[in-house]
Amino acid sequence: MLPPWQIPRNGTLWLLVAFSVTVLPLSRHLPLWVPAIALVALAWRMGIYRGRWGAPQRWLKVALIFACIAGLLISFKRLYGLEPMVAMLVCAFSLKLLEMHQRRDALVVVFLGYFVAVTLALFDQSLAAALYVATAVTFVTASLAALHQTSLDRRHYRPLLQSLRILGQALPLMVVFFLVMPRLGPLWSVPSPGLAMTGMSDSLELGDITRLGRSSQIAFRVDFEGEVPSREKLYWRGLTLSRFDGRRWTQADWGHSGGLVQWQGQNSVWHEQAVLLQGNPVAYRVTLEKHGGNWLYSLWLPQIHSANTGLLRDLTLVSPEAVTRRLEYQVTSRPASLLDAEGLAAVRKRVELQLPGNSNPQTLALARQWAAESPSPEALIARVLAYYRRDFYYTLSPNSLGQHAIDDFLFRSKQGFCEHFAASFVFFMRAAGIPARIVAGYQGGEIHPDGGYLSVRQYDAHAWAEVWLDGRGWVQVDPTAAVAPERIASSLLDLMSGEEIFGDAPFDLARFRSVAWLNSLRLGLESLEYRWAKWVLGYQNIQPALLAKWLGGLESWRIGGFLLLASILSLLPVIRASFYSSKLEKTHPADRYYQLFCRRLGKAGCPRKKGEPPWRYAQRCGQILPTKKQDIEKITQSYVTLRYSRGGGNLAELRALVKGFRANRINKF
Amino acid sequence: MSAFLTKYWRRYFDFWLQRRLPRVSQITLNQRSVFTFPSRTGLGFIGVLALMWLLATNYENNVVFVFAALLGAVFVVTIFHSYANLAGVSLRIVQIEAGFPGDKIRVDVEVSQQDQRYRDGIWLKFGDGSPQPILSNTGDGGSDQRRAVVSLYLDARRRGKIYAGRLTVETVYPLGLIRVWSHVLLDGWGVVYPQPIAASRQHSGVGDSTDFASDEIQGAEDFNDLSPYRAGEPYNRIAWKQLARGQGLYSKHFVDPVADPQWLDWSDYPGLDREARLSRLCADVLQAATSGRPYGLKLPGEQSALGQGEKHRQQLLRSLALFEWEHS
Repeated sequence: MLPPWQIPRNGTLWLLVAFSVTVLPLSRHLPLWVPAIALVALAWRMGIYRGRWGAPQRWLKVALIFACIAGLLISFKRLYGLEPMVAMLVCAFSLKLLEMHQRRDALVVVFLGYFVAVTLALFDQSLAAALYVATAVTFVTASLAALHQTSLDRRHYRPLLQSLRILGQALPLMVVFFLVMPRLGPLWSVPSPGLAMTGMSDSLELGDITRLGRSSQIAFRVDFEGEVPSREKLYWRGLTLSRFDGRRWTQADWGHSGGLVQWQGQNSVWHEQAVLLQGNPVAYRVTLEKHGGNWLYSLWLPQIHSANTGLLRDLTLVSPEAVTRRLEYQVTSRPASLLDAEGLAAVRKRVELQLPGNSNPQTLALARQWAAESPSPEALIARVLAYYRRDFYYTLSPNSLGQHAIDDFLFRSKQGFCEHFAASFVFFMRAAGIPARIVAGYQGGEIHPDGGYLSVRQYDAHAWAEVWLDGRGWVQVDPTAAVAPERIASSLLDLMSGEEIFGDAPFDLARFRSVAWLNSLRLGLESLEYRWAKWVLGYQNIQPALLAKWLGGLESWRIGGFLLLASILSLLPVIRASFYSSKLEKTHPADRYYQLFCRRLGKAGCPRKKGEPPWRYAQRCGQILPTKKQDIEKITQSYVTLRYSRGGGNLAELRALVKGFRANRINKF
Repeated sequence: MSAFLTKYWRRYFDFWLQRRLPRVSQITLNQRSVFTFPSRTGLGFIGVLALMWLLATNYENNVVFVFAALLGAVFVVTIFHSYANLAGVSLRIVQIEAGFPGDKIRVDVEVSQQDQRYRDGIWLKFGDGSPQPILSNTGDGGSDQRRAVVSLYLDARRRGKIYAGRLTVETVYPLGLIRVWSHVLLDGWGVVYPQPIAASRQHSGVGDSTDFASDEIQGAEDFNDLSPYRAGEPYNRIAWKQLARGQGLYSKHFVDPVADPQWLDWSDYPGLDREARLSRLCADVLQAATSGRPYGLKLPGEQSALGQGEKHRQQLLRSLALFEWEHS
């Protein structure tokens, strides 16, 4: 038998499983060498387990340690941060797996396993990721159970069953703990994972949005208070891009601190002058996924209601700091409002007309020519849109363009994605002397049939233009709508064939929207995800209100009392099971067959009386069923021998006799 | 100072334990007789939990909070599992082997249960001895699976009765986070024989000539019977007379003399103290047991019957072991 400090073989086996399951999803978020080292450790430990290889030599272990340190130093400029921390944990996890001789080493591996498993949630908080972490935790717990079993049970899966049982029993208590666990807010500032951010960047180069178009991740969700506006009105403005250096479009530097941001609760002079609010209000609440930037999305001309949101001069929303976790804010938009209708200051006009020198000469020339020929800016705009409509087409995989990208696009390739149309249109307008800017954001979204909310995904990313017209102010123009009106009326998905869009996610459910049941499954999952986000991921926002509502106050005695009572209640089944266990069966195995025999006799018309001795019963039945008299006596003899003579009798014989015994109901003449 | 305190505490603890768990012939563990506390692994687990909570707090990550809560709940749940694994177990000493000083004396402890719970990972040990697991309960459902006998070993030191000390029975099953244990004192004692010391030659040859001249009698021709010769029997056993008479091949059979007793006497060793005499008599018993002749033992106030065989030997050794022995 194993001494208590040794690692049971089954324990190693389950540790290997737990290790693989835990590290696998993290490899996506870490530099490649980390999973490579984990793989080496796993393969080696497997070799040891199967008795093929010995423990690694000392030099190899030292080399691996140095490889880890060097890798960490090279991959990460600073070791302070989430990725370096997780990379370090995975390294330690792998090395300790190799350096595992005694049970206490294995326990360290298990503890590291718990920690590493949970770090996945720092990169990805979706329901699927949480379920994955739960699976990993189940396997880690199974290996912990396997490390502590002594019986030579052949069933290798036993620890897994045990783990499932314990975790299952722990679930109700988990809910209690989760509800009351204090949420203190960050104790010190921690850098957030950069890798996990997807979404729009604060600048635009041709091709950027095309890339976003291939992801079905949620960008934000919107709950409308009233009716959801029609799809073609849903232009979610994120930021305006006014500066162009020939390649990239970036935001004009108006300065967030220079008094040009109107924070919630303030009243700026410029806001009163520039904005004329009119039309019916549309109120909604946005739940924005983290995206790493500080801009927020809203419909045309928003009024803000949430603290820590501000309005920029171009009437887009900002948050004071980068959105590194899910953020909720409340907005009312008035779509008919006017912006800068009274006029545009000279300095601002200059910015909105700026063009880099000697870029795209062909476009420049054409724009000047058309501007001279057009009676009004509106006529010019109409002419340009008509030009697009005639010759251009909309594609997700446009040709690459040369140095004068806009010239190339307008006069040669004539095919592009929304950003191509927006950028070339803005360039054309500016060249023609009309102030214009690109708006980057999302268009449309998917209205959820049950939830009454809208989900906007990365593939809804869009770019369009705003031009400034004298007397009307800023007017929204979407050149893409001229080329592909269906892109605005429906979503990109309906427009494109699935394969083209989801190049990198072959199993994305959004790809199979045409299959009805798959689509309803997808919508169901989405609704689940929404609830998950609302109730779990955002729990710290509702915790005080919820607990106050349930407990009638937040005093510590109430919370303590609730914790105690709820814990006991949720543990009742476990407590019961630990104090009561069914007693060992005292019945003799022969009793089972005899009872079966009695039942059969009972059916045949001779039920056994309570406590009737077997022989008297046999005698009575022999009179009722004279044809079976012999069989009955034989069975009774066999049973009595088995039951009452020491070590005598033959169970198999009794079994065969009883199974073969058939007594038919006596016919009554 | 600390040594003094430790000693004082130890004594106080023993006293307390003595009142709480006195010596009994059989004990079924229950909430009164077991202790429950987080094991070292459990404390490490709590450390992991604390770190996880810190991680969740700093990143304001509710998924991590969920799993910190889950592991906390697992910890609490395993308290009950570990407790239930030990409570309901009955312990009883089946027998304690006899042995000589310096031997490891085997103690068979019967572990049984009256309920149907699956149990695993229960370890038994005496004092600082090496723990032994209970292995039989594999839950296969057979009737004997609910009962197991575990062999533990005690150090035999001095002649006399040996009592089993406090038996530690413990478990950390299922996850090793909670240690549930008890120190039970079970009835049952074994026998430690005197340390055998072979007597010097002069002593052993001693004796009045009641000590038989065994060599002369050894080849006793006490003819018993004839039986058909079987292959392999020595030729000098062949009944030549019968063969010469033409009666066939027979072999002769003899028996050793019955009345040839060897008495091992207390008074053989004058001038030695009690323990020394017992040691020598012990050696004599061991020697006499191999000689193949009946032997007996004379001690002040008691005299054994003459006899032979393992049982007789054990009986004599036992009376040597318990002679004028008192519990100290």
